[in-house]
Amino acid sequence: MLTRQKIIEDLLPKKFGWKGKVWVIVLLIFCVIGLVAYILQLSKGLVVTSMRDYASWGIYISNFVFFVAISLVGSLITAVLRLTNVRWSTPLTRIAEIIAVSAITFASIIIVVDMGRPERFYNLFTHGRLQSPIVWDVIVITTYFFISLLLLYLPLLADFNIMLQIKKSTGNRLNKLYSYLGSFWKNKPEQIKINNRSIQILSITIIPVAFAIHTVTSWLFATTYRPGWDSTNFGAYFIAGAFLVGSGAVLVAMYIFRRAYKLDKYITTDHFDRMGKIVVMLALVYLYFNVNEFLAPAFKMKKTEEGYLLGLFTGDYSKVFWFALSTAIFIPILILVNKKGRRPLPAFIAGCLVVIGSWFKRYLIVTPTLLNPLLPMRDVPDSYRHYFPSWQEWAIAMGSLAGMMLIITIFARLLPIIPIQETIDEMEEHEKD
Amino acid sequence: MKWKNMRKIKYIALTIGLILFLSEVSLSQVVKNKLILGLGYYNNNNRLQYLKANTKAKLNGKFQQVAGIHLSFYITVEDPANLLGRAVTNEKGVANLFIPPSAKSVWNKSPKQTFLVVSEATKEYDGVHSNFDLTKSRIQIDTLPDRKITATFSELRDSAWIPVKGVDMKVTVKRLGGDLNVSETPTYTTDSLGVVNADFKLDKLPGDSIGNLVIIAEVDDNDIYGNLTTERSVPWGESSKYVSTFNQRSLFARRGWSPLWLEWIAYSIIAAVWGVLFYLFLQIRKLKRLGAGYVAGKSE
Repeated sequence: MLTRQKIIEDLLPKKFGWKGKVWVIVLLIFCVIGLVAYILQLSKGLVVTSMRDYASWGIYISNFVFFVAISLVGSLITAVLRLTNVRWSTPLTRIAEIIAVSAITFASIIIVVDMGRPERFYNLFTHGRLQSPIVWDVIVITTYFFISLLLLYLPLLADFNIMLQIKKSTGNRLNKLYSYLGSFWKNKPEQIKINNRSIQILSITIIPVAFAIHTVTSWLFATTYRPGWDSTNFGAYFIAGAFLVGSGAVLVAMYIFRRAYKLDKYITTDHFDRMGKIVVMLALVYLYFNVNEFLAPAFKMKKTEEGYLLGLFTGDYSKVFWFALSTAIFIPILILVNKKGRRPLPAFIAGCLVVIGSWFKRYLIVTPTLLNPLLPMRDVPDSYRHYFPSWQEWAIAMGSLAGMMLIITIFARLLPIIPIQETIDEMEEHEKD
Repeated sequence: MKWKNMRKIKYIALTIGLILFLSEVSLSQVVKNKLILGLGYYNNNNRLQYLKANTKAKLNGKFQQVAGIHLSFYITVEDPANLLGRAVTNEKGVANLFIPPSAKSVWNKSPKQTFLVVSEATKEYDGVHSNFDLTKSRIQIDTLPDRKITATFSELRDSAWIPVKGVDMKVTVKRLGGDLNVSETPTYTTDSLGVVNADFKLDKLPGDSIGNLVIIAEVDDNDIYGNLTTERSVPWGESSKYVSTFNQRSLFARRGWSPLWLEWIAYSIIAAVWGVLFYLFLQIRKLKRLGAGYVAGKSE
């Protein structure tokens, strides 16, 4: 039987053991290598990348789309499930919001990395035109970042109060941070009422903004006339894929936090079972949009799209294409459709596959189209006709992924990874019933 | 027992070694495909001269162009002193080489020339040769009143230009993406004076901004003279000025062209969302005020 005291003890942020420290060091090393590569890119220009006249978007933009996609999980777990009164998702809400904030932060960073002259970024604000999809993206990413941050912060207020009570006796150094962020929270009924209402408003607001952020990201592609991007299906296709990869990431994070913090009582096998079912449903929805995206154009096989489509199905990109579909959709469905597959370890493996496959899927959305222009490539060096990222691009891309995981890790060290107050409230409600 | 096993292992090792050696030998004796090499001479406007080589091979039962073949081009004879240059075939199996000014002295020696192209042997193909024997020639183009065109074809004999009879020639007008015949007659043949006469029958053909068109007289793929073209600008077209309709057809092309109601909707959505966020920031301030000086369990 869980008591209030036991819940608080279990859920308080804990110091990292040696595994945690090694993990942080590894992530830091990746980040530093990425930073060095970026400094090199800044000093020598984008020529250090493999991007050229045709493949002018490479793995930076693939990473950007991936980050934006993964950030959407905040709206799914926190908002959609909260608004539909799905109580079992409570232990997962903070994990989802932390992933969302970290991912959207690095989505903003990686887009600047892709710029040849990042010092001109401010021009987007001073000379930006509302008619440009790039400006839509800047507006919507900024908005989504603040909403996600608020949705992470407001439910934390009650937990800050709890931690401050505990830390006062333990004299924890994080006390100052908690005090700065939440010392005004006194569990006053008016405060609780305002806070709950604010969270409710945020949960409603974040859904259209979340849909907008990924729809606008898809429109960055779909508003251009190119084989593979010239699609009316793109908004829905992107959102379906985003929900899938976000849910896959939550499965992965659930397993890791459950193991690292010994949260078996809070993140139970039932949570994996339910999240597994959600992932299966989302994978099927994404499969449906993939069929829409490829079957109709392949049926017509227009001359302008032929090279692009055949490149994916049987050509240069076929290995990556079928690998991405298998790992992001088919294998996770096969694993998670069985009850045994929704146990923690298989569900974790399925989640990893979804995340890895989804990254490659983003790469396939960006690059093959650019290498199949409507007018044939002429009078260009052979290297312009192909794209394989340079080591600087890999280092920066890996560094940004490590950076995202580092932020999640830091949040996990500083904040309770499962909402303490909400868990206590649910436990007390359960006892009353 | 052990000794017997050792012998067995030796035999097996020897057999495997022999198989590997034989397979390596047989692999190295793969039958090479036959490369077909063609060479053409091109002269544009009696000025720009170049050679074009193309490669083909029968692969999987049908002829296909061969890319990546290294070719050397020569004038007169295959000799390093007569090397014009080297080129590699592209994905269409074609390699072009402009005749360099350094070949001028050899070129001027005779009214007839021989060009040669030699391919380097590769793993798939043996090295092959091809040549083109050229008689130097030229086309002169002129116009007469009533939109008539005359083109004269002549060849060089002992430093004199002699008109040639019976050469097939096309008279066309240059368009974007291809040339258009100036009349219903697709090909003309030169008379005893080496002349063809063509009527320009195309009315209201868009020209440049002042109505100029470019007419072309050309000889294609002739076994003796190669490929020659000569151009001349004539004021027989309609003057045309490009008017861009981009701004009218695109909703978002320019700030001034996007409808006001659409801009208002966009700005209103942004304002509404940020209004909500601003309201929530105010709520946090309210929470702070409510918490200031509050002691749990005591009423204010």
